[in-house]
Amino acid sequence: MTALLRYQAALLLRSHRWLPPLLLYGGSMAVGVQSGQPVLDCAGWAAATLLPVTAWLVRVCVTNEPSAARDCTAAAAGPWRVHLAAVAVALGAALLLAAAGTGIVAAVGDPHTADRRTVVPMGSATAAGLVCAAACALLGTAVGALCNRPLLRSTAWAVPATLLATVAVLFAGASPANAAVTGLVTGSRTGVVHVPLLPLAAAAALAAGAVAVACALAARRT
Amino acid sequence: MRLTGVGRRYGPGGPWILRDLDLDIPGGTLLRVEGANGSGKSTLLRLLAGIDAPSAGRITGRPRTAYVPERFPAALPMTAGAYLTHLGRVHGLGRAAASRGAREWLERFGAGAYAGTPLSELSKGTSQKVAVAQGLMGTPGLLVLDEAWTGLDRASRGVLDAAVRERVAGGARVVFVDHDPGRLAGEPCAVLRLGNHSARPAFEDAARSARQPTMHIVVEPPPGAVLPAGLPGVPEPLSDGAIRLTVARPRTDDTLRILLAAQPPWHIRSVTEAPHP
Repeated sequence: MTALLRYQAALLLRSHRWLPPLLLYGGSMAVGVQSGQPVLDCAGWAAATLLPVTAWLVRVCVTNEPSAARDCTAAAAGPWRVHLAAVAVALGAALLLAAAGTGIVAAVGDPHTADRRTVVPMGSATAAGLVCAAACALLGTAVGALCNRPLLRSTAWAVPATLLATVAVLFAGASPANAAVTGLVTGSRTGVVHVPLLPLAAAAALAAGAVAVACALAARRT
Repeated sequence: MRLTGVGRRYGPGGPWILRDLDLDIPGGTLLRVEGANGSGKSTLLRLLAGIDAPSAGRITGRPRTAYVPERFPAALPMTAGAYLTHLGRVHGLGRAAASRGAREWLERFGAGAYAGTPLSELSKGTSQKVAVAQGLMGTPGLLVLDEAWTGLDRASRGVLDAAVRERVAGGARVVFVDHDPGRLAGEPCAVLRLGNHSARPAFEDAARSARQPTMHIVVEPPPGAVLPAGLPGVPEPLSDGAIRLTVARPRTDDTLRILLAAQPPWHIRSVTEAPHP
């Protein structure tokens, strides 16, 4: 598995296909995270942005190998392990972005509530932002795993499905991502910081389920 | 390695490409898969390699596997050497062994100079050499070659032939499809013929259809003994408990040597020239 992760990471890194999702992340951060804005609002925005970016990274990683090369790797290690490694590398990259994004938010955000009257403790705000970003990365992974190969093989289905699923997961009331981001934005009004651990756990469970489904089907549909 | 009732179709309700395939592939088997276009050769190879899962039945006892596709237009963003080192590690080699194996196999195929060339810049033949090297460097227990010789130059085809013989002699299973009917002729080889319509295999002893003369060696096992690993030929149990091995004539001496050197040694009953078909 380590060898597969290293191989997939090398593929991602050298392919430069991480650049468009990174630009999306950077562009969105430039719009939503500006110096002097309330830190929790910024953290919520950064986390929400990470969801589509992660789904895109998963798409990049699971489609990175041409099919002939994928067959060789799949024979050597088993198709589900190859798929798992690809998804795991995408999630790893997204978590790096989560950490970097949280760092930027902590650096430029204003540690006050939206009405600038109450002080928001920077430490717990950063922790809440990081946990929220991790939850969004996990849900983005789930979306990416379900909306790409091996479940949806054609680009014509995969890309619109990823978009729709991203919107649904960000805005549906029952979604852990929605709960986590809403928690941050509400905290920015009230000054009470909630670290969204429950949404994180739910997101992890959903991601594990989605990735398990995708990996189980990796050998069935090639 | 055993296939039990294996079938494959794409999508529920689709036509069966392969159906009710029962196959036993013991170690040291060289198996050639034949059939017309669309008879399911590649599908079977993908099932054997574990790239694809059967829709029905099961495959058990698959050893560490390597697969070589017919075409390897792998536009991967790395050099041939880096790719092979990565794949060597995926095949279970350590870091040093993987990078040494990458270098050695490229050199064996006369492509040592391309170790530092990006895969996207390689010619078709050199790409194919990389694909073949990938399949061989992990010394797999099952090697699946889907027309792997296509696109290789004559010298490299010879290197691949020799590597296949080496792997079979080492007790590995090698399953291949190739358009050249003379491929690996002289090597004792089982043939699985896939029919276009019935999709039921005819398993025949192919050593007889090979060009070189073949020999029958009838041996009697000592009590409780199993056939030594790495024995060439296709074993065939006879009714009285003896086993008949059909081997290419050049391999007769090797076969006898292995049998006599086994502990406890096997009794050789007869060595006769096999009748021509």
